[in-house]
Amino acid sequence: MMKTSVKKLALAVGASAALMAAGQAAAEIRIGIAGPMTGPVAQYGDMQFSGARMAIERINAAGGVMGEQLVGVEVDDVCDPKQAVTVANRLVNEGVQYVVGHLCSSSTQPASDIYEDEGILMITPASTSPEITQRGYELLFRTIGLDSMQGPVAGNYIVSQNPNRVAVIHDKQQYGEGIATAVRDTLRDAGVEVAMFEGITAGDKDFSSLVTKIKQANVDFVYYGGYHPELGLILRQARQADVSSKFMGPEGVGNKDINTIAGESAEGLLVTLPPSFDEKPENQDLVAAFEAKGEDTSGPFVLTSYAAVQLIADGIEQAGSQDPFEVAKALRAGTFETPIGTVQFDQAGDMESFEFVVYEWHSDGSKTPVN
Amino acid sequence: MQDLLYFSQQLINGLTIGSTYALIAIGYTMVYGIIGMINFAHGEIYMIGAYTALIAITGLATLGVAWLPLILIVALLCAMIVSSSMGWAVERVAYRPVRGRHRLIPLISAIGMSIFLQNYVHLAQGSRNIGFPALIDGSFRFGSSEGFQLSLSYMQITIFITTLICMTVLSLFISRSRIGRACRAVSQDLGMANLLGIDTNRIISATFVIGAALAAVAGLLLGMYYGSVDPLFGFIAGLKAFTAAVLGGIGSIPGAMLGGLILGVAESMTSGYLSGEYKDVVAFSLLILILLFKPTGLLGKPEVEKI
Amino acid sequence: MIAHNFKHALFCAVVTMVVAYPILGLNLVARGTRVGLEGADTTTLIAIFVAAVVVFAFQLYRDTLMAALGKMPKLNPLAHREPMPQAKRVKMESWVLTGIIVLALFWPFFVSRGSVDLATLVLIYVMLALGLNVVVGLAGLLDLGYVAFYAVGAYTFALLSQYMGISFWMALPLGALLAALFGLVLGFPVLRLRGDYLAIVTLGFGEIIRILLNNWTAVTGGPNGIGGIPEPTLFGMEFGRRVKEEGNTSFHETFGIAYSGEHKVIFLYLIALVLAVITALVIRRLMRMPVGRAWEALREDEIAARSLGLSRTAVKLSAFTIGAFFAGFAGTVFASKQGFISPESFVFLESAIILAIVVLGGMGSQLGVVLAAIAVTILPELAREFSDYRMLVFGAAMVLMMVWRPQGLMPMRRAHIELKRQE
Repeated sequence: MMKTSVKKLALAVGASAALMAAGQAAAEIRIGIAGPMTGPVAQYGDMQFSGARMAIERINAAGGVMGEQLVGVEVDDVCDPKQAVTVANRLVNEGVQYVVGHLCSSSTQPASDIYEDEGILMITPASTSPEITQRGYELLFRTIGLDSMQGPVAGNYIVSQNPNRVAVIHDKQQYGEGIATAVRDTLRDAGVEVAMFEGITAGDKDFSSLVTKIKQANVDFVYYGGYHPELGLILRQARQADVSSKFMGPEGVGNKDINTIAGESAEGLLVTLPPSFDEKPENQDLVAAFEAKGEDTSGPFVLTSYAAVQLIADGIEQAGSQDPFEVAKALRAGTFETPIGTVQFDQAGDMESFEFVVYEWHSDGSKTPVN
Repeated sequence: MQDLLYFSQQLINGLTIGSTYALIAIGYTMVYGIIGMINFAHGEIYMIGAYTALIAITGLATLGVAWLPLILIVALLCAMIVSSSMGWAVERVAYRPVRGRHRLIPLISAIGMSIFLQNYVHLAQGSRNIGFPALIDGSFRFGSSEGFQLSLSYMQITIFITTLICMTVLSLFISRSRIGRACRAVSQDLGMANLLGIDTNRIISATFVIGAALAAVAGLLLGMYYGSVDPLFGFIAGLKAFTAAVLGGIGSIPGAMLGGLILGVAESMTSGYLSGEYKDVVAFSLLILILLFKPTGLLGKPEVEKI
Repeated sequence: MIAHNFKHALFCAVVTMVVAYPILGLNLVARGTRVGLEGADTTTLIAIFVAAVVVFAFQLYRDTLMAALGKMPKLNPLAHREPMPQAKRVKMESWVLTGIIVLALFWPFFVSRGSVDLATLVLIYVMLALGLNVVVGLAGLLDLGYVAFYAVGAYTFALLSQYMGISFWMALPLGALLAALFGLVLGFPVLRLRGDYLAIVTLGFGEIIRILLNNWTAVTGGPNGIGGIPEPTLFGMEFGRRVKEEGNTSFHETFGIAYSGEHKVIFLYLIALVLAVITALVIRRLMRMPVGRAWEALREDEIAARSLGLSRTAVKLSAFTIGAFFAGFAGTVFASKQGFISPESFVFLESAIILAIVVLGGMGSQLGVVLAAIAVTILPELAREFSDYRMLVFGAAMVLMMVWRPQGLMPMRRAHIELKRQE
């Protein structure tokens, strides 16, 4: 009984696989773009979609890849791990061979299992969790820096300021805790005393106890790993309680929204950010193209997504083949010029170097590079 | 000395939060006292109060009004009116039709209402955190400027005083006024009160309106104190306030005040001496323990199961 | 009368405006670093006005309308039909159910992979909802922390496979049993609480378990979650492209067919289907057993049930434990399907969605729950624009159901004996 059903299963699956293969023989290259279109982080998803769309448009206008046009297949994962698996399967259905996405690390991780198994090449322009590329996947790349790269940059900057005591706070989420841990380790290695290492609850509003604790610990530097809503409140409540420590955070806090919450207290906040790619002179015509469409390029994921699409196109050209495994080999072998600079991948699929710059944030929402 | 100052500071922090929990808890405790249901959507009413206050403040700022007392009074009035209307409407739409049915039915209806209101604000105003201007700034400081300085901000004082005023007025209202007397009668025996000519529907509506108005006061105060609002923050605050109400003895107004203060202090001591990660765990554990060992709370009356 | 109605209607209309206008009509927007206020577009304003007018009109003619509605024949054409004879109904129902299951068995071979994957998710929700149905629908205990047991099942499998290399088939009973044990241990102290207190306490438990999972980084990986959870194997055959565990063979090599990712998806679907059917059958059986009757007796009238000699604790505890058991089942399948789990999959919202499924389906009814699970999971997939409004609609639907049809869309019908009418 068991055997016959297995055979049936095998037969049916074989048939549908053959059907799928037939569907792929069109003269276009389909690229899946997966990210949140709805839900609480949709604003970041918009950056990703607008960057990827622009890249597809411009590459097609320049004659496509190997004479074939790129076609974007956009799907919405709401940044929910459950939805991410569903849309990943849908992309497999669509016969997509390359994916740009996903945005949240917790979505990227389960989705990448499926892509790797199905022989789909994936480039995430936004997921920063180091774990993602540590699993020895062959078809997984990313065009953004890792939490473990950003942490040391911040940590080293703090060390260079010769603080006596430092507090490291995080929001108990993957992103925040990851960076905070990296910062703490960097500080410890350099012999700086970390007086506090503590988590808060994301979404909480009352930080008066935490602020009192920071004040009591008498630290002169506070590093916060997490996003702007909580840091904004911490800053504001800290200034209210006369805490004079310097504050620093990762790119997740470098957002104008922090000014609406913290007001004057945001002045002097230090933020590590990727360099503003949109201010580079060589990107000016690209930025102009975005502006012509009424889109903003200042978001952190716009140009990384653009670069991800471009890398797929360049990889196909270099490999001279549309087989994702060949393309992956080509990507690992070559160096590529993209709007986010010269890209070279290491074995894991991360960029060899991704620069982070320390900026000082101002109460009017502008920022200036430090030193 | 340092440690004592630190302790006092955490105590002040805890009492501040506690007093606002108490303001929200009134809504739970009064409704529960009268119709014996948990008004799950009350946290959302508080959130809507905070949003309305912020909208009023922003609106006045756009119009160029700069006189602080006027801004505060207008914001407070707007928040109270909108929240009360919301409370009234919620009772009419979601609770009155199911009153008197199996106990689970109003509860599920209330959860549905809570989800609905949360998403209503989420869709209308977006999910991002919006900054709340700090209208009352500055603080008293105690202790030498070398070491740890105790600070008592004007905002904290405002919160204490407002809470105190609200509680006193409410107590007087419940004990002296005609409606207050009717409220107490209804909470003791709804059927009997009805027979005696009290319009019970009206009294129940009044309870919701009063609870919602106090939640709106808490919304304005906490919005200014914390600094931002978002559509989700009502739910957890509501849970905390409910915990406070249960802690003090549900149905009892001084109990709500006491429960709120105890909970606030417990939370702030947890983050002060242990870790902020476990703040919510402590709050929920406290709730569970109280319900298990003294379900009537600290000041509540034992409830007799009637057959 | 009309004057009184008019005043009331006017008041209702004003309240509608007050409730709707500030939140809908005035939007807070970030202008640079400041918060500004923006009036909504005209459509919204008109909508608010129309809503107020509708409320006004409805309240004004309320009495007339209600009377007219009362006089109208029942809209449901089946309302007056003769109920089918007991034996025939049971027979037909079992035929229909068998038909559905057979259809579900062969369906995945003819549709796309994405649909099969979605169907697996639906089946997981079916299991969860059937389990919660025992607790809420049958025993009348409102459990708002049901997702905690789901998390226990998922984390049991993830941790066992990570630290001890245990496979899906071993973990499936272990996860379910551990979840049941959790249900037993947590349930024991809380079950003497009254209904609404119980709801709050279970909510607290659910949150505590999630916070602990999130903070116990050394074991659970905290917010990073646990990845690399293996898929189920079929007699030691793996479904991946490459064999991950030594000693296993791969499915496609054993049968000499080309590798296809569909094998895995369909296999998982079939496992979920079998488990869901088992869940349904077990619960169906339990419902007819003395314990099932005891659940309902206790739900209907606790005092009467107790005076008939039913042990309140034992009966409630059995419902709670069995519900938790099936949540553990579902959790294991979920972990295996995802390959990666983190605490963010086990938030209160998930409990609320499962509860919504049970409520919409009709508390106590199995077929209703299955249909509701399908509707709740698939609707947002069909209409992406709907997905933003999903929770709004759920909330409203929960309220409306409670007001109009607390027994759900397909209320449970007990097998009962009807007295023959005297000719």
